Amino acid sequence: MLNTPAPYILLGLVLYFLTYRFYARWIDKKIWETDPNRPTPSRLYFDGVEYFPVSKYVLFGYQFKSVAALGPIVGPLTGVLFFGWIPALLWVIFGNMFIGWAQDYSAMMMSVRNEGRSMGPITYKLLGDRARKILLVYLIFYLIIITAVFEWVIIDVLNRVPGTFTAVLFVLFGGIIFGQLIFKMRMDALLATLIALLIVLVGYFTVALIPATQWPTTNFLDGPGFFAQYGFDPKLTYPGTLTVAFWLLVLSILYYIAATTPMPKFLLPTVYVGYLPSIIALVLVLLAALVTPITGLTIQQQAVKNLYVDPMVNPQGGPIWPILFVTIACGAISGWHSLVSSGLTSKQLEYETDALPVGGGAMFTEGAVALSSIAAVMVLSQPPAGAAAYVQGASLLTTKMLQVPAIYMNILYGIFVTVMGLITSMLFVRIFRLIMAELFEDSPLGNKYISPIILLIVAGFLAFVGSWTNLWIFFGGTNQLLAGLALLLIAIFLASVKKPSWYTLIPGGFMAITTLAALAWETYVYLLYALQNKPIGVQASAAKLYGGAVVQISNFLSAAFGALLLVLGAVMAYYLFAGFAKYRQKQ
Amino acid sequence: MGILDRIREVVEGLTVHGQSTAILKVKAQIDNLFMIITVGDMLGVPILPPYYSLRLLPYVFPNIQNWKRYMLRERDFTDLVT
Repeated sequence: MLNTPAPYILLGLVLYFLTYRFYARWIDKKIWETDPNRPTPSRLYFDGVEYFPVSKYVLFGYQFKSVAALGPIVGPLTGVLFFGWIPALLWVIFGNMFIGWAQDYSAMMMSVRNEGRSMGPITYKLLGDRARKILLVYLIFYLIIITAVFEWVIIDVLNRVPGTFTAVLFVLFGGIIFGQLIFKMRMDALLATLIALLIVLVGYFTVALIPATQWPTTNFLDGPGFFAQYGFDPKLTYPGTLTVAFWLLVLSILYYIAATTPMPKFLLPTVYVGYLPSIIALVLVLLAALVTPITGLTIQQQAVKNLYVDPMVNPQGGPIWPILFVTIACGAISGWHSLVSSGLTSKQLEYETDALPVGGGAMFTEGAVALSSIAAVMVLSQPPAGAAAYVQGASLLTTKMLQVPAIYMNILYGIFVTVMGLITSMLFVRIFRLIMAELFEDSPLGNKYISPIILLIVAGFLAFVGSWTNLWIFFGGTNQLLAGLALLLIAIFLASVKKPSWYTLIPGGFMAITTLAALAWETYVYLLYALQNKPIGVQASAAKLYGGAVVQISNFLSAAFGALLLVLGAVMAYYLFAGFAKYRQKQ
Repeated sequence: MGILDRIREVVEGLTVHGQSTAILKVKAQIDNLFMIITVGDMLGVPILPPYYSLRLLPYVFPNIQNWKRYMLRERDFTDLVT
């Protein structure tokens, strides 16, 4: 029993439940003093477009969908591969119990108490215009890095799980057809959904039953001869290869279409149709993790691995502090959630008392997804790097539970990871385009058709020659620093209204210091390798193919991004600590 | 509320809610355009033929309050995230 993932996953779920039931409710009642009779922005500022009251169950579903994508899947499994399953499990459980939910819920409540305003205007109100501008620049770089990371994650799965692309094409096609049926032909939504699902199922079974459709095969453009020539493993994905270039081009075209076409034509229906099979996949893997004592799958991963790695020996990973705390972002704590919580959700809360089940509840549910991701990689003896490990582990868990041929689950989880990644990154490219349009209204940089190209070129270059694991840590660093800054902002707000702020101040301070250290470490690693003109890990392939200079440019670019984000983060942290001291003095 | 209704609402939130809100925003943009060219003078936009505004007033009257609130609300780049 104890050698299976089930008891540890169950322990996490029980601790989440107890935290929600006691600690979170205590904070909700004693610090925020939520009152169902106090009017919320959805009622006070009703406009029928953004501000209108919505049931807490609907909002819970919306909040969960908005926060949970690839983050709670890829982060935890990478944490297990770097440091072992015990550190990863502990951070996912305790990070969420004391930091994660507190940020999501408190950001929502702070917005509710500020007329439904989002993070930008609240930052402006509490800290001034300069702090808001720093937040804006920070967000732009965050979007570039996260796009690069997700591009690589999707490419890796598309390359290593043959057939996924064909099945995903059916999902995209189903989405487009659904959009046309609903908006052009005004068809009944249920009927249109059934037609779209039928298309998805046809794609799924076609790929599972007809081996010829499991195309393109792994590294199909490079071939075994190429891999023998350079001594690469033909089962892995290497930066700089023709196959990677091909997938990057395919993704860039999809992103560009999503960013420039009207939302109801492509993005919205694709998100809708793509999310339906994803819900089934998520529920199945969590159930499968809990029944491992019956299915007989045992833990194969090391409990604790290297706590410190010399960057010159192995540049991927690093010291457990701070690297573990940024490797696992979503599932434990994620800064992106503060933007979502203070965005649409806070404008639609019907009662103040709904904030805990919606904000806190969604975060704990995301924690459960992260736990299932840990379980998926725990049962693998030799997991591949990246999201392919999740596909392999989740397939193994669910195949044993459902007693079906492995190909069905392989394709299901291949679709799941790719679609979740695609949906999120398509939204990121679109958000980048909208922000650029706001910033550079009269300049070509703000042009609808030009600004996505800028993002796709920079992020594409980083993904093409980059080292995936280092990019992931970079993304985690920026994301977690955003979380730290949000927590400190909440502490300032609580101080400004003369309420106790320790429960966000302590985690906020910890996250700010930890993530600044992680960004400094990763910038140091990039700079070290760039100055010595050495490739980082798998970048060796790109260096062999295009020469060391290309990789060196990529690493210098990453180091420059890191240095910039480090300085911006440090300045922002200074503003926040100084702001907190100012408001505390006023008390 | 029964358990099935709750599950239905959660699934609605997971799948449809974001979509319907985005469509509402697209519709609001078109409605706002109509409001601006008819009763834009209420927000200080110079509209030349007030005769038509007066004729349309009974039809647009129920939307005026919400429209003004939507148009005059402070907007920020962090609002673009959702």
